[in-house]
Amino acid sequence: MSNFLVRRLVSSIPVLFGILLVTFVLNRSIPGDPCRAVLGERATAAICDAYMERYGLNEPIPVQFVYYLRNVLQGDLGTSLRFGRTVTELLAERLPVTIELAICALFVAVIAGIPLGILSAYRRNSAVDVSTMLFANVGVSMPVFWLGLMLAYFFGVILKDTVFALPPSGRLTAGANPTPFFIAWGVIDDPRQASNLLLFLSRFNILNAILTLNVNLFLDAARHLLLPAVAVGTIPLAIVARMTRSSLLDALGQDYTRTARAKGLRELAVVVRHAVRNSLLPVVTIIGLSFGGLVSGAVLTETIFGFSGIGRTLVDGITARDYTLVQGVTLVTAVTFVVINLIVDILYGYLDPRIRLS
Amino acid sequence: MELEQRAGVPVALRATDTVQLKEKPDNPWRSTLRTLLRNRSAVLGMSIIAGLILIAIFAPVIATHDPLLSMIGIPGEVPPFPRKPPCIPLFGCEEPQHILGLDLNGRDLFSRIVYGARVSLFVGMTAVTFAITVGTVIGLVSGYAGGWVDNIIMRFMDVMLAFPGLLLAITIVTIRGPGLENALLAIAIVSIPVYARLTRASVLSVKEAEFITAERALGANHTRIIFRHILPNSFTPIIVQGALGVGGAVLEAAALAFLGLGAQPPTPEWGQILSESRNYVFTAPHMVFFPGIAIMITVLGFNLFGDGLRDVLDPQLRGR
Amino acid sequence: MFQRKLLLVFTLLTVLAMGMALPVAGQDMATSVECGADGYVGNLQSIEVLDDMTVKFTLCNPDPAFGSKAAFNAFPIQSSEYLESTGGGGDLVRSPIGTGPYRLQNWDLGNEMVLTRFDDYWGEPAREETVILRWNSEAAARLVELQAGNIDGMAGVGTGDFEVVEADPNLTLIPGAITNVFYLGLNNTKPPLDNVMVRQAIAHALDRQRIVDNFYPEGSVVATQFMPPVLFGYTDEVEPLEFNVELANQMLDEAGFPRGDNGVRFELPLNYRDVVRVYLPTPGIVGADIQAQLAEVGIQLNIEQMESGAFLDASDAGELSVYLLGWGMDYPDATNFLDFHFGGGASDQFGTKFDEIIGPLNVGAQSGDVDVRYQAYIEANTALRDLVPMVPVAHGTSGDAWNARVDGAYAAAVGTTKFALMEDTEDDNIIYMQNAEPISLYCADETDGETFRACGQISESLLDYEPETGEVVPALATSWEVNDDATEWTFTLREGVMFHDGTTLDAGDVYNSYMAWWDASSPYHVGRDGNFTYFSAFFGGFLNAPATE
Repeated sequence: MSNFLVRRLVSSIPVLFGILLVTFVLNRSIPGDPCRAVLGERATAAICDAYMERYGLNEPIPVQFVYYLRNVLQGDLGTSLRFGRTVTELLAERLPVTIELAICALFVAVIAGIPLGILSAYRRNSAVDVSTMLFANVGVSMPVFWLGLMLAYFFGVILKDTVFALPPSGRLTAGANPTPFFIAWGVIDDPRQASNLLLFLSRFNILNAILTLNVNLFLDAARHLLLPAVAVGTIPLAIVARMTRSSLLDALGQDYTRTARAKGLRELAVVVRHAVRNSLLPVVTIIGLSFGGLVSGAVLTETIFGFSGIGRTLVDGITARDYTLVQGVTLVTAVTFVVINLIVDILYGYLDPRIRLS
Repeated sequence: MELEQRAGVPVALRATDTVQLKEKPDNPWRSTLRTLLRNRSAVLGMSIIAGLILIAIFAPVIATHDPLLSMIGIPGEVPPFPRKPPCIPLFGCEEPQHILGLDLNGRDLFSRIVYGARVSLFVGMTAVTFAITVGTVIGLVSGYAGGWVDNIIMRFMDVMLAFPGLLLAITIVTIRGPGLENALLAIAIVSIPVYARLTRASVLSVKEAEFITAERALGANHTRIIFRHILPNSFTPIIVQGALGVGGAVLEAAALAFLGLGAQPPTPEWGQILSESRNYVFTAPHMVFFPGIAIMITVLGFNLFGDGLRDVLDPQLRGR
Repeated sequence: MFQRKLLLVFTLLTVLAMGMALPVAGQDMATSVECGADGYVGNLQSIEVLDDMTVKFTLCNPDPAFGSKAAFNAFPIQSSEYLESTGGGGDLVRSPIGTGPYRLQNWDLGNEMVLTRFDDYWGEPAREETVILRWNSEAAARLVELQAGNIDGMAGVGTGDFEVVEADPNLTLIPGAITNVFYLGLNNTKPPLDNVMVRQAIAHALDRQRIVDNFYPEGSVVATQFMPPVLFGYTDEVEPLEFNVELANQMLDEAGFPRGDNGVRFELPLNYRDVVRVYLPTPGIVGADIQAQLAEVGIQLNIEQMESGAFLDASDAGELSVYLLGWGMDYPDATNFLDFHFGGGASDQFGTKFDEIIGPLNVGAQSGDVDVRYQAYIEANTALRDLVPMVPVAHGTSGDAWNARVDGAYAAAVGTTKFALMEDTEDDNIIYMQNAEPISLYCADETDGETFRACGQISESLLDYEPETGEVVPALATSWEVNDDATEWTFTLREGVMFHDGTTLDAGDVYNSYMAWWDASSPYHVGRDGNFTYFSAFFGGFLNAPATE
């Protein structure tokens, strides 16, 4: 096991380097320079020249890469050209928005997907099964942004004055102004002195609400998260339902379940007993599977619901030629991806002995 | 061995990486087709795809108007010109020229959506064909050559897979400039690694098989081994993945168009129609609703077909 | 070189004498430079503090618009103490101290910005206790928030949503002023556009009324000149080239471009960027319509959308043939429109420049005489119409939507809309949703409207604009004097103006603020990214600017 871990970690290094290199080269290949994007349309050629000079953007690209690599190895992701703030600071501010959205989306997928999958397996080939699976198929076929728009329209406009109304955008109601937990606890008085880690944690509204025991904040944040989480979570939901169903059906066909059934156990009891273990696998898989989809989905959903998360920031960064920001964010995303996959692989080994960690 | 998912289509790479060598049935195509026709979702999927292909071919007949013609200033046309709401005779509408209403340029939305089928099918199928071709070659080379060549190629594929697909596609399109061809290219490039890994896995599973060793001992050259034995064995997972991939490509094209990086006006492309009218969702929801439905039905068709195909061709992979 | 060294020595001495501190009023505060020497390209010659409450600016060349520029948002006066303690960046950028009716209470990054009333404000105190700024880039989403009652006001009603807002009894539509121009650029170095008859034919072929009627919000008007009607220099005497397809066809025939077999005379690329601006709210839609209109006279335009930065660079470099672009007013003066695009110092965006246009523009820019200026602009606008470097198409308008219970809602014609003049009759805050999050709160180093809107509540410039007319009015300066050739501007400051930290405004604050922007070698020339784009764009350049090779 530890051998496997070490090997996986070592083999990740060239991949991470490759990611860094590819991001760097791709970014610099985009036509146009960051000057206009950063300084606005009024910037003249002379202003732009001075700007490029100052940020070392006139240096040959290999030289810039070496500088960048050196800084990254020292833990310095650089300063965003557009925001004039460090990339680390921006990550601490915006990454939680996306992570919170992704976790809620997965949560929606799991709590709705597994029961649906179990139900279909239990009543296989019934009307329930067919409609669940059709729903699952429709779910993976919808453009995420379209679903988001339609949800916002339905719950934000059509159901406006009913109890089902949900906020169509934003993370909190205006003026909610949550107190970060470190201030509520009296650890730090001025948020500007808080470390990036504390800021990072306090930006998870749900977590912050729990830590500060603020019920209203919790409810407000949850209400705002519901629609985007459903929009992003629909695809994983459909996949979880499908996988739960099929892995259950597999298990139900095995000899030992036949034995259980022969022993006179009721069908439902058999299904439920196997459901637990067999649904863990799809859940773990979905976390690994969904990562790319969640980030892609977040890019579009954050646009529609007005979240200033990392997905939206990244797309804006690409169009604004904010090289350092895009590189930093991509690097963090890719590292997360590698780590999540590592965890998924390890969990797999535990859950399914058929898969060897080779 | 990472698992990856692209725009809603799950790709269980792990399962396909460990694909087993199968015995060849006597008449594979006919029996496959027979089983396929018994599979409900495959039949539904195929019907949808067939319907779309017919719509695409006969677009000029089905469409009621020129998809590029603005109704502004045309005699006999009644305002409001842009954003005219749908007029569906079934719901008792008096003036049936524009079943789905007009778009922001005053063009007939129904005709644009009908012509859009051409664009979406073209993008989906071309991108996947391109990705399969390049991916298969890369996978073959990598798996067959082995050693450091394999290592380098696969590490590079790992790098590509580590980027969320849409972001990589956005970057590629930004580099090459927005447009349908570039969006198509980006979608294709982004999905290459999936096919490369699938092919490589098949190659690896076949390479050491006894009959290959025997062929090699008999002096067969590489080309013969590759084309006679290795390629046919990698077809199954590739075809299944390809069918699912078309749906994914259609979704990605729509997402790129939504961000303004896809098809350019006046091309009637569903994602583009959606994108330009998304700010009117609360005032003229028809302009957002109908192209979205069109995308959904298309993707659904390919997904159902792909699922059915997978069930039939590769029972071991069912549901994974 | 000598001058620069001298200045350096002077600055060094000052710094040494005061132990790195900024000079305070009463000390000798004056900096001047020799115009045109040592690569200095700026128009500002000197800044002098005459007494505690008087500052004098001297210019190299006449600039009748200097007052207008000084009123601009990008020149907010800072407190010397705060400038010094923040080193010209850092907290200055994120938690500003201004003189405005509101001060920053809390900026919850990525979420919202909360402003509270500043009780010691020199003017009328703000009517409402709290202002909350939020943002969302989608106009449709902003409107839903407004309709749901989550916010009190929103910027930029979507083109299709004007009727919705007007039909809703709970909402008020506040149309914005017309302060921009959208044009179809025609580069005269790209054949067949080098033929003036072809350019004129394109102008005749374009049904601008159709574009404005169908694709612009209510209140937008057809453009006949390259400046909005509110500006001095706009005149009804210049009749636009009429819409006449027959005439256009005839001119193209005469120019030697017969229709081919497919009915096409020639093909040209049509470029634009997919960026929503008030002057062009729906670029793709308008592009497609222009494409369809010119197809009628046998000109085939092939749409090539470009990335915004690359598009601006390419148009500046004169690489584009036909393109959609526009201009929004910075300060209310004809020079901001005409000279910037067609003057001697303009870019190559329309190809070769015309002396027939440059001549009158120079007269207009450097004369203080109203009649002389007016005649010059009539001449320039006529030449622009006949030579067709571009076809002005539309003056777009935007609209703010407000909840009807908000009293005093308005939209400033020029400059920032001041929330201090409004009151929510039902609760004690005003929640306003705009397009994007402000980038910083030090607007000297910013360029976008979203950021200016936030800064404009907190900080103030020497002068201000009258909300309706855009006329320059007193703000931190109560009066100003200008000499006959518009090269010497003397400002008298308001007594008893207090910054949010309790310090009072004096001439030293003005001097130090301007020096931090002007002098590129100043330790306080920091800002967010240190570019001070507007200063450099309005006043020509920096003092002690590092040489670029």
